[in-house]
Amino acid sequence: MAVKRRQEDAQELNLIPIMNLVTILIPFLIMAAEFVQLSVIDSTLPAIGPPQPVEEEPEKPPLNLSLAVTDAGITVLGADAVLNPEGSEGEAAPAAEGEERPPTVPCKSGDTCTGVDDYDWPELARILGLIKDEYPDDENVIIVPDSRIRYEIIVKVMDESRDDPNQQGPDGRARTLFPYVVIAGGAL
Amino acid sequence: MAVKARRHTVDASLNINSMMDMMTIILVFLLKSYSTSDISVAPSDNLQLPTSSSQKAPELAVNLVVASNQIVVDGVPVLNLDKTPDEENPGQNLTTVPEDEKRGQVITKLYDRLLEKAESSKALGERSGSTEHEFKGRILMQVDRNMPFAVVREVMYTAGQAQFGEFRFVVYKSE
Repeated sequence: MAVKRRQEDAQELNLIPIMNLVTILIPFLIMAAEFVQLSVIDSTLPAIGPPQPVEEEPEKPPLNLSLAVTDAGITVLGADAVLNPEGSEGEAAPAAEGEERPPTVPCKSGDTCTGVDDYDWPELARILGLIKDEYPDDENVIIVPDSRIRYEIIVKVMDESRDDPNQQGPDGRARTLFPYVVIAGGAL
Repeated sequence: MAVKARRHTVDASLNINSMMDMMTIILVFLLKSYSTSDISVAPSDNLQLPTSSSQKAPELAVNLVVASNQIVVDGVPVLNLDKTPDEENPGQNLTTVPEDEKRGQVITKLYDRLLEKAESSKALGERSGSTEHEFKGRILMQVDRNMPFAVVREVMYTAGQAQFGEFRFVVYKSE
C-alpha cells in the first residue's frame, strides 16, 4: 500500500507588498504626528459698557476677586470678607494706615521672587479654595500683573485660579475655582 | 595542483521579518500620536510657550505670535522687537516694543494688520451666512514664556482696538 508523503516545505509569506505599504504610511504619519500637545486658556478684555445695576445684597457684599501679581508676591484683593473678617485675626494681617500692604502670598525666598517656582503656589491655591467655599457661584477673577512680570508667571496664576488641587469636584476631577479670567492692564 | 574553486550557489533571500516587526511598532506609535489639530507651532529659540494644566482644545482663529524678537500675524512678520538693557537688573535685557512703532499704547503696524484681518473675516462671515463662520473676535496668542507683561499688555490692547476681544492663549499641555 502506497503512503502519501506530505510536502514538508513551509510556504514563506510574501511580505514585500506589506513592507511597501508600511514604508509609504510612515512618512505620512510622521508629518501628521503631534509630539507636543497644545491647549488654550480663554481670556477676555475687560468689558466696556454702561454700568450694570447692582442688586443690593446687604448681608453678603459681591466678590470682586483680583490677584495683583508683583515681584514681591501675589496680593489677593476684593475678598477681605473671607481673608480678613472684621476685627478678628484673618489670613492677612490688616495693614496700618498709610502703610503699604504686604502681599497676601509672599515669595518663598524673601522679598523678591526669582522665578516661577519661587511663588508660593500651594498657599495661593489654599486661599482661593477658601474664597470659593464662601462664594461657590462666583467664577470670575481679574489678574492685575505688574509690567515686569513674565508671561509664564501669569499663565501659572491662571492655572492656579482655575483648578483646585486640594479638593475634588462631583465628577472626580479637580474642583473648578474661577475659570473666567480677565487680564487687567494694571498701573501704567 | 588543481585548486578546487567550487562556488556554492546559495539562494540568499533577505529575511525581512525583523524589519517588519520594527515597522509595525513604529506604525502603532505614529498612529497613536496622529493628530488633526487646527493649529501648529513652529518651535524655535525665540518662541518657547509656557506649560499649563488647561485641557481646552485650540480652534482655528487669527494666529498672533509674539516671539522674543518679533511679532508675527498668520505667518507674516509685522515688526521687530527691541532688546533694551534692563535698568533694575544690570546685565540683562528687557524686550520692548520700539517707541516709534507706538501711538500711545497702540502698536500701529500691528493694529493695521489686525484690522485688515478683522475686516476680511467679517466679510467672509457675511458672505457665508452661517453662524459658524461669523466673526467672533477670537485671536490665538502664542507668546514667549519670558515676555514681560508690558509687551503682552500693549499687544492685547492693540488687538482689543482692532476688534479682537476674545483671547486664546496657546500653551503646552502638561501631563
